[in-house]
Amino acid sequence: MSSEPIIEISGVVKTFEKGVIAALRGADLSVRAGEWVAIVGPSGCGKSTLLHLIAALDVPDCGTVRVKDHVLETKKNLSHFRARDVGLIFQLHNLLPTLTAAENVQVPMFEAGMSSRERSRRAQELLALVGLDGKEKQHPAELSGGERQRVAIARALANEPPILLADEPTGSLDSEAGRHVLDLLARLRDERGLTIVMVTHDADVAARADRIIRMLDGRVVGDETLRAAPAAASGSAH
Amino acid sequence: MSFLGFILKTLVRQKVRTWLTVLGISIGITTVVALGSVVGGLKETSAQLLRAYDSDFIVAQKGASDLSFSAVTEEEWAAVDARDDVERTVGALLHVARAGGNPYFVTVGVRAEDLAKIDLNIRDGRLIAPGATDEVMLGVRAADKLNAGVGETVELDRRTYTVVGIMKADSVWEDSGAFAPLATVQEHAKKPNVVTMIYVKVKPGLDRHEVADAIEDDNPLLSAVADVDEYSEVDQGIVIMDALNIAISALAVGIGAIGVMNTMVMSVFERTREIGILRAVGWSGNRILRMIIGESLALCLIAAAVGTALGVAASRAVLYIPAVGSLLEPAYTLDVFVRALFVAVVVALVGAVYPALRALRLTPMEALRHE
Repeated sequence: MSSEPIIEISGVVKTFEKGVIAALRGADLSVRAGEWVAIVGPSGCGKSTLLHLIAALDVPDCGTVRVKDHVLETKKNLSHFRARDVGLIFQLHNLLPTLTAAENVQVPMFEAGMSSRERSRRAQELLALVGLDGKEKQHPAELSGGERQRVAIARALANEPPILLADEPTGSLDSEAGRHVLDLLARLRDERGLTIVMVTHDADVAARADRIIRMLDGRVVGDETLRAAPAAASGSAH
Repeated sequence: MSFLGFILKTLVRQKVRTWLTVLGISIGITTVVALGSVVGGLKETSAQLLRAYDSDFIVAQKGASDLSFSAVTEEEWAAVDARDDVERTVGALLHVARAGGNPYFVTVGVRAEDLAKIDLNIRDGRLIAPGATDEVMLGVRAADKLNAGVGETVELDRRTYTVVGIMKADSVWEDSGAFAPLATVQEHAKKPNVVTMIYVKVKPGLDRHEVADAIEDDNPLLSAVADVDEYSEVDQGIVIMDALNIAISALAVGIGAIGVMNTMVMSVFERTREIGILRAVGWSGNRILRMIIGESLALCLIAAAVGTALGVAASRAVLYIPAVGSLLEPAYTLDVFVRALFVAVVVALVGAVYPALRALRLTPMEALRHE
């Protein structure tokens, strides 16, 4: 396993409502490449806010968020970072309803400068990777909850990011579909050496990770390693 | 899937709204095309009027609001005719009167001896005889509409004439009208001793503009029109139509832009969360901007196509109005269609500005939190 942290968060503070609500009160976190980290804690503890800061969907009031070589609070082109360096999976799949599964997977690729043919070929490969071969032309409404989440995972992998960020990825799924999604994440981590940061409130889901970070009142209050993460695939596509 | 395909899918999702917006904009485009082609046709008719009878220019009363109101006295005509730099003149009195179902039938009063100077394309019969008072020559369209042939009689403005000839002219208005003896038309129109205009042919080798200027210098009450651009000196109608055309184009832009803006604002508002997802998966503000402007442009280009088709149809339809059909043929020149396209593009850009700025102001998290 790489000893270099791929994500490093230091003294991050994030407030909302003009400082009235403090979501993060000096959070620190370090994640190494190839790790699967679960962030757990009660509602309102700041775990999703932390994930959003790593995803560059928001910026901290103070503190530092460094992902790969990017210091996010000073980085200008955050959309480029979001397109290339992280893949996001939401609790609700957040697919575009008018697009087919393959078209949804292609959406992030517009920012990667791929040709239409290349986008189409790659979307097909990714859908096959997540076990949705033959479902390319199905619209989200024609897919089950688990299948939609797998399309969302394929979309997150569109531009081959080294990091997957998942916010309650099984939260809206039944246990069987949830297990399939977690199996898929485990396989992606093992085969592709992806770093996964997953927010969950479910202890069973968190137990699938290598490491569990516990949060309370906007701070990291616990860090438990369940198992050693496999070595990051040196030949992975990042 | 191409970026254009992505944009079109968004428009197809809201079929009713898309088509209502297209319809709203296309009405403006229809007006631009229909009015533009009719005004173009009027200008072409004016140009034909200037070039008629192998003349170099026409002379009419200066400042007339409409050419048909121009009055040039026979003395003024004689003075022009007597000039050394003028080879020949033909005086014509335009009289608009009812004939058959057409209340705007144009009868041109011309002296019989002047008709002989004109190289007319006579299809049947002969010229009006010198001294005749009740003979008439019909254009081919007029003969067809009035269902009259040589030797038959026609009633023009409650006066009966004998058709002595059928002629084919280059212009619609001549083909749809008639030549009658000048004295008869003067009497019937209650315009004794005047003509509407004089067709002037200058002596070979002379510059027609110089001769025209000289005639104006000699008689400040007359205006010599050598080109269509100068036509407004003797007819304000085209100027008014041109101004109307520009005003309607501006109105079409204003109304269309508000319609597009409304559609796009609604679309952006309804898709706030979707825009958040696009930002979250890496779409730049620039691409969001291009998406919204692209949707707006696609709407307006569809409207331009629909509006152009409707505009052409509308301009053909107005030809069924006898007064219009006998005077002009709509001119579908490139500038009419370029103007329609220009209006559509301006509407698209103006209409997209506010919604695009609104979308760009949203942070990804604000958009994702939107329900």
